[in-house]
Amino acid sequence: MKALLASILTLTFIGFLLLAIVEMPAVGSDSSIMHNVVMDKYIEDAMTDTGAINIVSAIILDYRAFDTFVEASVIFTALICIMIVLKRSGSHDEK
Amino acid sequence: MQTLVNNYMFVGAVIMFGIGFMILLLHNNLIKKIIGMNIMDTSVFLLFVSLGYIKGKEAPIIVGGEISKMGYVNPLPTGLMLTGIVVAVSVTAFMLALTIKLNDMYGTIELDEIQKMRGR
Amino acid sequence: MMKSSIVRHITSLLLPFVQIFGIYIMLFGHLSPGGGFAGGSILGASLILFRFIYGSEATDAKFKATYMMRLALVSLMMYGLIKGYVFVSAFLGWHSVIGTGTPGTLLSGGFIMPLNVLVGLVVAITFYFIAVLFEEGDFNNANTRQ
Repeated sequence: MKALLASILTLTFIGFLLLAIVEMPAVGSDSSIMHNVVMDKYIEDAMTDTGAINIVSAIILDYRAFDTFVEASVIFTALICIMIVLKRSGSHDEK
Repeated sequence: MQTLVNNYMFVGAVIMFGIGFMILLLHNNLIKKIIGMNIMDTSVFLLFVSLGYIKGKEAPIIVGGEISKMGYVNPLPTGLMLTGIVVAVSVTAFMLALTIKLNDMYGTIELDEIQKMRGR
Repeated sequence: MMKSSIVRHITSLLLPFVQIFGIYIMLFGHLSPGGGFAGGSILGASLILFRFIYGSEATDAKFKATYMMRLALVSLMMYGLIKGYVFVSAFLGWHSVIGTGTPGTLLSGGFIMPLNVLVGLVVAITFYFIAVLFEEGDFNNANTRQ
């Protein structure tokens, strides 16, 4: 009973998502709307602006280095949250 | 139907999302639910990274000191999904820490036994 | 602490190569695929392996918990300061301290290599600490006053 309900719900959900995929251009096509002026600017100017050969590294560490900074602080905040959750109470402070 | 065969990567990502969703709904063990959520995260990354592929072009690393004549694959989706992968790892670590606390408090990690213990 | 001597001998032979590979991926992030996150994951995994084989007392004597926490904090703050300097100096038109250099060599790319190293340090220390916290509930010497 539970398995039947779960599979009907999942199949409906996948059906809606597949309806959206029919409208998308083919994989690897050259005329997709994603490959526009922004990509051309990053590819042409990456070596002369930054001096790095790896274009992905030049994007995440020079053009958009603030995103990497906030994401390193997300890792650090996760560590602090785990430290707070796993703390046992009243064990070490007996002075 | 022909477009669904042409977009095989996106159909694969959506099916993987559905598999992860079924694992999340059907199993009682908390560790299996965490595995299902991880599979859902990975399928979203697969969808976004495969959006940047262009047929016949090469990887975005400038070899030999000049820009290649064949052109490069779109480097933007790969760069922006790196942040997402790290956020998924952090969320998984936090979920596992909460599972340890639940095990300490109730003695079990099956979800229906925990619900019975809380009287529902 | 593993008592089997085969695993201990093979690990003591293998760990330096794993760490050198992780440092190579971290340092050459602007020349080949990799960067701070991948290199930091490999370094963190090597530290977890060291703790798993040699036990918790030997590892706590070698890598103290308060020292590594302070190293991660200082790395994160230095990343913010360096990126702030690069941003402001490009906006106001100052001459940058480190130029771009010739593309293709190790010392090129301006501030990309130090930023890679700092991000890798944060990620490696965080992965190691998460593994320590899952095994025991708290750090051993985190409650002593210094």
